[in-house]
Amino acid sequence: MQPSATEKIKTVDEVLEPVLNPPPSIEIENVTVSFKTANGVYTAVKEISLMVKKGEIVSLIGHSGCGKSTLMGTISGMVKQSAGTVKANGMLVTKPGPDRGIVFQNYSLLPWLSVYRNIYEAVDAALKDKPSSFKHELVERNLKMVNLWAHKDKLPGHLSGGMKQRVAIARAFAINPSILLLDEPFGALDALTKSNMHVELLKLWNLDHREKTIVMVTHDIEEAIFLSDRVVVMNDGPAATIKEIVDVPLPRPRNKKTIVHDETYMAIHDKLMNLLIDKFSIDDIK
Amino acid sequence: MAGIALMGGIWELISWYTKYEIPSPRMTWTVLKEVMQNPMQDDPDYKGIGTKLISSLTRVGIGFGMGSLVAIPIGLLMGSNKIIMNIINPMVQILRPVSPLAWFPLGLAFFQDSPKASIFMIFICSLWPTLINAAFGVSSIPQDHKNVGKAFGFSRWKYITRIMLPYSLPHILTGLRLSIGVAWMVIVAGEMLSGGIGLGYFVWEEGFNGGSVAKILVAIIIIGIVGLLLDRIFIGLQKRFTYAI
Repeated sequence: MQPSATEKIKTVDEVLEPVLNPPPSIEIENVTVSFKTANGVYTAVKEISLMVKKGEIVSLIGHSGCGKSTLMGTISGMVKQSAGTVKANGMLVTKPGPDRGIVFQNYSLLPWLSVYRNIYEAVDAALKDKPSSFKHELVERNLKMVNLWAHKDKLPGHLSGGMKQRVAIARAFAINPSILLLDEPFGALDALTKSNMHVELLKLWNLDHREKTIVMVTHDIEEAIFLSDRVVVMNDGPAATIKEIVDVPLPRPRNKKTIVHDETYMAIHDKLMNLLIDKFSIDDIK
Repeated sequence: MAGIALMGGIWELISWYTKYEIPSPRMTWTVLKEVMQNPMQDDPDYKGIGTKLISSLTRVGIGFGMGSLVAIPIGLLMGSNKIIMNIINPMVQILRPVSPLAWFPLGLAFFQDSPKASIFMIFICSLWPTLINAAFGVSSIPQDHKNVGKAFGFSRWKYITRIMLPYSLPHILTGLRLSIGVAWMVIVAGEMLSGGIGLGYFVWEEGFNGGSVAKILVAIIIIGIVGLLLDRIFIGLQKRFTYAI
């Protein structure tokens, strides 16, 4: 069928535009978060702006109490900003939603529900209108993805820390969010388990064709570099701001073993160390 | 086992010292066997010890059951809502220290029936521990659990059935355990007051008025063992519904 004369024919640029420059996945503009406390108003983060592209992995790094979890809370909708706007997938964030999956610091599994039920209840709540068979299938697929299908009937109390974290990640993936928010997800794990989990997370991200946007809070420099496209370094609170955003132009897939010898890696590592740490040896302590 | 042997020894000593005014364990054992001869006897003029025990347990069961049915929902409401807490808590604080026995005459005046008055008394004293513990359970739900509900958009119903109730259950069971302990203590006293029914009546009428200290001791042993069993049931339930994180 021929297009009618009045119908505008899209140019190649117009067609390619959203593909080449997709709208940002997360837009944070001038966000300030203040809490009322017994000693007056406490400002955790102040006038922060940050854009995250679709499919990008961004780490928020900084010292304890610098407001990185608070900033992430504004994206998830768990924390209300006092000023500024937060948009996820172009929509203003007012509360948590199924387009954003959250992995909490302490796994936050419900200890009285089996591994299976923990994921199912979350899926059931987040995807209310979907048929039950669809939801069960989602749970099964995601549990198999993190290799925990054999443990589906166990209670969280009977799992190791790494397994619990995989359940938490499977739960966040199961609702198929376009944005994944990880709040110090591997902080409680030992170094070896942690290292495995990094690779597992990237595997899941790859399986999903790198379409999920991931924002992760961490204080682990190596973790931040290995996983991220950009590392956002925050100043110490109160009224924390962004100190610097460091790009990580290392090609993917990255290899844990070889990456540490890469010159770019080492340069980024040094830079982050200098941004975060001011004492490197006992000579630096006055 | 050693503890029970020690208790028997002390008992033996006391009865020897009182010149068997207080019967020895062996004498009590004989009376116990006598009492146990036909425990389920249920004639209009005489009821066996088992029949009396069951009638006491039934009254405790009814009073405790009704009390719990009232206390659990109110406690859950108090725990989840500050306003309701502030309204109900002062009432609880005033009524809770009142001796359960003080409710007996009130029940009697109202129901004009002593078994019903006993049940009323059990009902009242079963309320407080359950109410307070249920409220505490709900108000202490960890933020982590609440966050799960919030993050995945749990409906109110899902929050109540998947987070609030499972988390509060061990606390509720603690309350129930305390309640049944009090109820079991109080029923004996109540039946002494009301007369004619249950284990309390056995202690008073056959033991004290009948001049048989051994029967009083037998009743004390039975009351103690039954109380222990009731406690064990709730400890078992508590264990069953407490989860490691």
